[in-house]
Amino acid sequence: MERQEFKSHISNQLNQNLEGLFNQILEMGGLVERQLEHVITAVQTGDVALAKEVLKLDKIINREEMEIDRQCASVLARQQPAASDLRLIIMGIRIAIDLERMGDEAVKVAKLVIKMHSSQLRCNVLPGYDALVELSIGGHAMLQKVLNAFARLELKEVSSVFADEEAMDNVFKNGIQIVNDSFKESELDAELLLEMVNALRASERVTDHSENIAESIIYLVQGRDIRNMDSEKLQAFLAKLD
Amino acid sequence: MSEQTISVTLDRASREMKLENEKIAIEVKDWDLFYGKKQALNSVSMLVPENRVTAFIGPSGCGKSTLLRCFNRMNDLIDIVSVDGEMTLHGDDMYSKSMDVAALRRRVGMVFQKPNPFPKSIYENVAYGLRLQGINDKAVLDETVEWALKGAGLWDEVKDRLNENALGLSGGQQQRLCIARAIAIKPDVLLLDEPTSALDPISTLAIEELIFELKKDFTILIVTHNMQQAARVSDYTAFMYMGELIEYTDTDSLFTNPQKKRTEDYITGRYG
Repeated sequence: MERQEFKSHISNQLNQNLEGLFNQILEMGGLVERQLEHVITAVQTGDVALAKEVLKLDKIINREEMEIDRQCASVLARQQPAASDLRLIIMGIRIAIDLERMGDEAVKVAKLVIKMHSSQLRCNVLPGYDALVELSIGGHAMLQKVLNAFARLELKEVSSVFADEEAMDNVFKNGIQIVNDSFKESELDAELLLEMVNALRASERVTDHSENIAESIIYLVQGRDIRNMDSEKLQAFLAKLD
Repeated sequence: MSEQTISVTLDRASREMKLENEKIAIEVKDWDLFYGKKQALNSVSMLVPENRVTAFIGPSGCGKSTLLRCFNRMNDLIDIVSVDGEMTLHGDDMYSKSMDVAALRRRVGMVFQKPNPFPKSIYENVAYGLRLQGINDKAVLDETVEWALKGAGLWDEVKDRLNENALGLSGGQQQRLCIARAIAIKPDVLLLDEPTSALDPISTLAIEELIFELKKDFTILIVTHNMQQAARVSDYTAFMYMGELIEYTDTDSLFTNPQKKRTEDYITGRYG
């Protein structure tokens, strides 16, 4: 399936609606991408203004999700989409849910930066800081990959997202271990350590959502539902995508 | 991307069609219609917006075609019909004694369920209404025939055989020819009474696409027994039941969130 196919219906209105939906999803993805960029910088520099910008963007992202839902409902009710058109609608709704949740997770990390700022501290004094930075950068890169794949409806890069996610899982586990180990001897407020655990978990969830989006794109392009596929089959399937 | 562009995209939702934002072409107030003693339309009131497609849906016998025929006084041709209420076209009382019915029908054109071209050439079919108006200037006729056939999306298919008999065209082409004939006299309003029910699916889609294009120049009212067609082509939809207008709103709202249970039952196929 190619993007051009969304423009080749006899009904111009359907062409416009599908193209509009497509662009709206990309726009929403772009906003989440910007949020994740801000998160990386805010965590590293302690820039509280950027952290607050993440919260602001989240409100816009929530409205984007509602707009995508509205557009999907309208096309479903009025134009009876079928085959790849129908898959775009179903996946549009699903991708928007994942993006919206990614936005919520980004807010959790931004709140850590804000909290540290109010304690006049920077994130880098916390145990697990390196893992948090690595997860934030990794999560951002994964989102970029899936958004590029969606924009081009190409699966070439999608397969690496699954490996990325596993790598990020390990970073997360190590980060959590480091925070756990430091609980007894750390002089820092336990509340701040718990915030760090939350931020690590949130960053890890961001990578999960990118993986979900990768699954959605595979379904959109190939009509193949790979959720819950056992790992051997999944690897064989992904190898064919490369 | 600035926040300004973001809000512009999101404003799409608030720019949804709403009747209160529209210019109104036709106003109907407390409209009743009787076939003899039998009441077929009961106190229908509605505003038909300009340059939009308004669809009428409802079960057989609900009065949708009867109401459509009121908009160009086709019901005058039936002896036992009597009407009551107000109906205005751009403020002019359509049923006043001084209203010239022929002039009204020039302003409100109609296309029927079955294509009904005259057994004349393609050219003469389209020029017919103009000739009736006394226009015989060949240059004017040529120009208008070409404009109307282009408007009806038929020009490319027939431009080399304008003098051939219209009955030689396919059903879908004949129906587009009837649309060309109707728009040639440049009416304000176009009434379409189940215009695709005699056509195959591809011709149907072509006509639907045409309807979408034509609304730039005309106010269009369409009766269809095909609910999905109403959903696809119209901006506003009226659901009628037993001579009453049950619900009338923008098509998006009617098909995603109807306010009346009877509408919901009908569009979801629960109507008994």
